[in-house]
Amino acid sequence: MAEIMTAREAVERYIKTGTQVCWGGFSYTRRPFTITREVIRQRDRIQHHFCTMNGGASVEEALAANDLVSRMETTYVGLEGIQPVAYSIRRRIQDGSIPLFEDYSNYGYAARTIAGRFGWPFAPMMAELGSDIPEYDTFGKAGLRGKNADGSWIDPRIPPKKFAVIDDPFDGWGLRPHAFDGGDTTANKTNAIDRTRESDKYTGNKGVKVLLVPPVLPEVTVIRAQRVAIDGTVRMEGILGPDAEQAMCAKVLIVECEQIVPSDELRATPELNHLPAHITTAIVEQPFGGYPSAVPNYYDYDWDWFVSYGRLNRKSKEEVKEWWTKHVVDTKDDWDYLQRIVGMNRLFELRATPGYGYRADLKRPM
Amino acid sequence: MQQITDEAYDSYLEERGLTRTQYTTMELLAVASAREVPDGAFVFAGTGLPLLASMLAQHTVAPNMTLIMEAGIVGPKVEHLPISVSDPRGCLKGSMVSNMADTFGTTALRGYCTVGMLGGAECDMYGNINSTIIGGYWPAGVSGTGHGPHVRFAGSGGANNIASFADKVLLVMVQEERRFPERVEYLTSVAGHRGPREKKESRWDYRLGRGGELVMISDICIMRNNPETGILELDTVFPGMSVDEVVANTGWSLNTSKAQELQPPTEEELKALRMLVDPSRIYLGRRSKREAAAQQK
Repeated sequence: MAEIMTAREAVERYIKTGTQVCWGGFSYTRRPFTITREVIRQRDRIQHHFCTMNGGASVEEALAANDLVSRMETTYVGLEGIQPVAYSIRRRIQDGSIPLFEDYSNYGYAARTIAGRFGWPFAPMMAELGSDIPEYDTFGKAGLRGKNADGSWIDPRIPPKKFAVIDDPFDGWGLRPHAFDGGDTTANKTNAIDRTRESDKYTGNKGVKVLLVPPVLPEVTVIRAQRVAIDGTVRMEGILGPDAEQAMCAKVLIVECEQIVPSDELRATPELNHLPAHITTAIVEQPFGGYPSAVPNYYDYDWDWFVSYGRLNRKSKEEVKEWWTKHVVDTKDDWDYLQRIVGMNRLFELRATPGYGYRADLKRPM
Repeated sequence: MQQITDEAYDSYLEERGLTRTQYTTMELLAVASAREVPDGAFVFAGTGLPLLASMLAQHTVAPNMTLIMEAGIVGPKVEHLPISVSDPRGCLKGSMVSNMADTFGTTALRGYCTVGMLGGAECDMYGNINSTIIGGYWPAGVSGTGHGPHVRFAGSGGANNIASFADKVLLVMVQEERRFPERVEYLTSVAGHRGPREKKESRWDYRLGRGGELVMISDICIMRNNPETGILELDTVFPGMSVDEVVANTGWSLNTSKAQELQPPTEEELKALRMLVDPSRIYLGRRSKREAAAQQK
């Protein structure tokens, strides 16, 4: 039964030292900043956590800047156009203060969330072969995979293998292009499946190989949706990213939202909903709480914030942390933060233009 | 192409100190990349130059192309330049929004990724891209050195997957010798042939059943990989640059026998790029390192 609560309660209850948290949203869109900021406010208690996600890295940059990340399992730690590699994360991987980092590709991680969502023991995916991504297994090297002598998992959040490769039991029949009467309708023109059959790499047998990945099953997933019904039904708008999958496979799901709505509003068209009521654990209502990320149809990202933060985070670790103290830790909650630190004027300047979903005339100077 | 009046264009040029025929490095790169997109292509583009190039291609050589944004959008009609693969601007009037697994599975793996546009930190002679680390992969918890890599980059993101599935990869990079080693230290994405066939090190030996064509566009040249050997060779030298400069900035012995001169950007290409794709010059306004260094002199 989904419970409505404040961000403070949700974080106190569900996020402890070392908890594995899967952060939803993707890059500049629909990132759960309300819970992120609350975790930062409670940083002394939490100390650090196991960060997993497929849509970095604005939230992760904020957490890393507050020394709240001890493990990362992810695909990308950049801020794209503004800062190619999120600096707080980068410096800590380099100097060792983030001691464990497991790399995946977007598709690899997404395939893991599909396995999680559908309850499969693993999911097949056909990329990452030939690269070094499967060759380096950080968690394995750290001794975190597999079972203890008594049969319990060494770390139940970490699968016993990073990946596996099998010979396709269906001999590539299902792979595109599938030749019906001499041709198929894919747009791709280079089709060399047969060329790959000659190789016996990975399994020692010739034929078609398939890479398998285990599911990702987070202890806690945090996402931001535009609307959540009072019963916990979730509807997202605009870009979906990996959120529905990441949410479905979580033990605890915290959904922050712009607005809690009556159940009938979302249940009138269930085909437009993304998550069913029964999987939502906690609902936190915080309008504008996705700031500085964009929430489609509501507000745009704050370009200026990202540009100035991208300059700020290159200062000393202490100075950056002090900035977060002043701007976030010293605020009572997100209402305080958004009104006092950000200001309603700025929030209203970011309001989405009808018909676009973002602020069509947003000024974006470098 | 949309109608742009001469008046509007002239005033745009005057305001920014540009001319109809002269171009910056970023503009040149965008035009050279756009030309590589075949009409009807399904293009996976990351942010920055790849997106500029894709949007320009849609206005010029490839009006029937479909843009795929990694966050899961199929075929958007972009009006304002996105600065992220998940920028809501990249969602405008899309045919469908899907999840991340759809982008790479439903779209790419099923055969609808014909051109991928990527960036990278290092690229080697076989077109392997490194966007992960330099100076040791292992993080501090397992490295035994007390620290992690010397330099940590953003990681694969979708690059590995795009390189695995695309017919053709466009790789845009800054040309510096240290970024073009014989072999990358860490192989993030197999964008070309991967290695010599005779040693069973090719992409097909590693079960990648598509792709192999790589075009590397830097700020001074274009390289293409030889369809037989898979090794990147010099294809085009940019105006004002010499073959020697390219060779000096490549970490392997570069074949230059096929080098030709670039057809410079046309007025029409520049106009579309400036007026339709990035009028605020969010990316076009950036200067390459070489340009900045030259201007300082």
